[in-house]
Amino acid sequence: MKDDIPIELLLRWRFARAESEAPPAPRAARLIAEARPWWETWPERFQSLVERLGRVQIAYGHAMTEPSNPRTGYPVTAVIDHDGQELETFVSVLYFAIRERRFCFRFHLTAALRPPVESFETTFISKDGFSPLLSGQATRSVDNEYRVDLQVSDELARKWDGLKVTDHMPFRLILRSGSSINDG
Amino acid sequence: MRFVWFWTFWHWSKESFRDGVLLRSPLQGVGGHWDEWFRHEASENDLRAIEQVGRAESTQREFAAWLFRHWAPEASLGGNRMIPRFVLGQLAQLPPFNRWPAFDECRARYGVEGISAIVLGADSKGEAEDVRRVEALALPADGGPSVVPEGFQADPGELEVLRRAVGSLLRGKGLLLFLALWAGRGRRPYPRWIKVIIGLGWCTTAGLILYLLIGPDPGDRLATLSATLLALWGGLVLLAILVTCRQVIAAWRAGRCWSDLLQRSEVRLRMDGGLTLKGESAGFAFSLNTLLSLYRADPRSARGSWLWQRIFRKLCTDAKLWAATGVVTAGGELKSVVLEPKFRACLQRTDIEYILTPNQRDARQKAIDGSIEEIGSIKREKARARLPGMRTEWGFAEEKPRLQSFRCRHIAHSLMIFGGFRSVWQNVMSSLAVIVSGVVLFGLPDLFYLLAPPPAPRVVAPSSSSPYYLWVSLDTKTPTRFQVVLESDYWSNRRVKVGAQRGANVPARAEILLRRLPAPAGKEDNATIWVERRFRFLTREYAPGERVGRYSLAYLTQLDHE
Repeated sequence: MKDDIPIELLLRWRFARAESEAPPAPRAARLIAEARPWWETWPERFQSLVERLGRVQIAYGHAMTEPSNPRTGYPVTAVIDHDGQELETFVSVLYFAIRERRFCFRFHLTAALRPPVESFETTFISKDGFSPLLSGQATRSVDNEYRVDLQVSDELARKWDGLKVTDHMPFRLILRSGSSINDG
Repeated sequence: MRFVWFWTFWHWSKESFRDGVLLRSPLQGVGGHWDEWFRHEASENDLRAIEQVGRAESTQREFAAWLFRHWAPEASLGGNRMIPRFVLGQLAQLPPFNRWPAFDECRARYGVEGISAIVLGADSKGEAEDVRRVEALALPADGGPSVVPEGFQADPGELEVLRRAVGSLLRGKGLLLFLALWAGRGRRPYPRWIKVIIGLGWCTTAGLILYLLIGPDPGDRLATLSATLLALWGGLVLLAILVTCRQVIAAWRAGRCWSDLLQRSEVRLRMDGGLTLKGESAGFAFSLNTLLSLYRADPRSARGSWLWQRIFRKLCTDAKLWAATGVVTAGGELKSVVLEPKFRACLQRTDIEYILTPNQRDARQKAIDGSIEEIGSIKREKARARLPGMRTEWGFAEEKPRLQSFRCRHIAHSLMIFGGFRSVWQNVMSSLAVIVSGVVLFGLPDLFYLLAPPPAPRVVAPSSSSPYYLWVSLDTKTPTRFQVVLESDYWSNRRVKVGAQRGANVPARAEILLRRLPAPAGKEDNATIWVERRFRFLTREYAPGERVGRYSLAYLTQLDHE
């Protein structure tokens, strides 16, 4: 075996070989399809989850035995799509902040999934029209707490600015685990 | 200032909470808040300083110590000693602390030993893993649930029941029951020599009573003996009442403090395993751990109470040796549970020596001894099965597992056990004291008149209209303390007790039957009537006492007739 090959030549050879082994570049149509939000890719699935979400109604009955505590907040309705199963549940909003179009959101999932799901694709659905507002990854922090960090539009930032964790949230959530995302 | 970055985080957390950006209070949500701050809010300088602290284990430990010594007292969190432990436990799960070796100990537990709960896994027939360590922390409440499960799921209603049971034990029927049990037969806070003296005192009192009841007639010493008996008994009762009242008041005060603390607290119960609890048999262990958490949060309240100090000293040092099982009601009563697999589980743990159970038939030590035999044979079978091919004769020289069961009807009974208040000596002394006191109380009027005799009575009308009877009527309110003696050479001599008469304004009297002597001497009127005192104690009549009146027969017969 020759051992006096210059390193430049060796690199060129390796580069050429890598190019020949690489998969072909995706087609533009596929890239566009992948960039589309999931509710446009699978509208029936989205419709089914939204309908399920719409069926969950929260009516607050104040039958308290102790003085009201203003810091308990209001639960937000959520539907979890995990392992082909749909689960209606609630989340408690722990942190809600909007700074310069950056939306920081943290919630506690009431339902305990075993084993815990490390991340959900979280879709914010408007409470009034049941239309999708925005979507992003929620990653697990401690216990059953999940965190979302997203860029939001100016309009949404203006609308949600001033909201507190103890207020009624103007949205509901669809939480999709990794296994459900792949299945559509 | 060292660790200024932690203060930066803490103030960010407080401000965000105040602004309504964070839901949980800075303390309750410290884990999540830290995660948010560290990932997205901390400045470059802060991150660099944190990294510097994390480089060496010694500085990591310094930070942990700083949290205990400086941060907790300065953070105005009410002096609860469990707060730094909770903060450390929460932070240890999160970056960068989850990579710090100094925080390894805090990651799995808070470091507060508790009584184990026996929660059987699905399909388990009693394995060592079913005995689960429970840790409880009482933290200032922020409006959330009063009992928060960590590491397991439980019905909030069931957890609320155990909180109420603990409340009852601190300031309700449970406390009353415990104090009554202790007052009745519990060990007292005396040094040994005082205990011996008190024991001798009660024995002497009992001896004096027996002497007065069945001994020889004491004669002139009757008053002295009565006075001694009364003084001794009074002294002992007074001492017992004073000591009991002092302890009861101190226990009640401490209980009130902890009850208020419980109202203001959120109790966090930690039990690993990720179980969803079905059934309430862990309630007994949870209740006892909740109680312990209150003491740990505020140990100063126990200062004046010997009872609580004794209970918690034992609980703090030996909690890891104990397991408990039983369904607790809101009033603190314990309901029966399945025990056999639980005994089996405990017997497979070398660190569990005692088990608290509800008072049920299959909780007797005999049942445990049966399980010990069973466990032994299972172990031997397992050992043989491990190496089936080898022709080995096994020599089993291991120690027999030990487990002692204590049965309780109420959670208050467990306090008697933890405090070591059960005492044979005290049981004997209490029984003796109750018997002696009962006798003295029954004989108290007799003793009183022995020491302070009633005034001497006068003879008053009426006298008898019958020639065969002589009535001696006395103006006294205590007729039973007197008797009348007829002395004559003409009439038969007689001694007659004075008795109360029916009817209003009828004086008490002694009715003496007049019978002529076979060979009377002198005149018919030649007779003297004496009024003398009667001394008695319960059933015992002593020799007649002092003569307090002397009358002639002629005088008595001339009094008005009825």
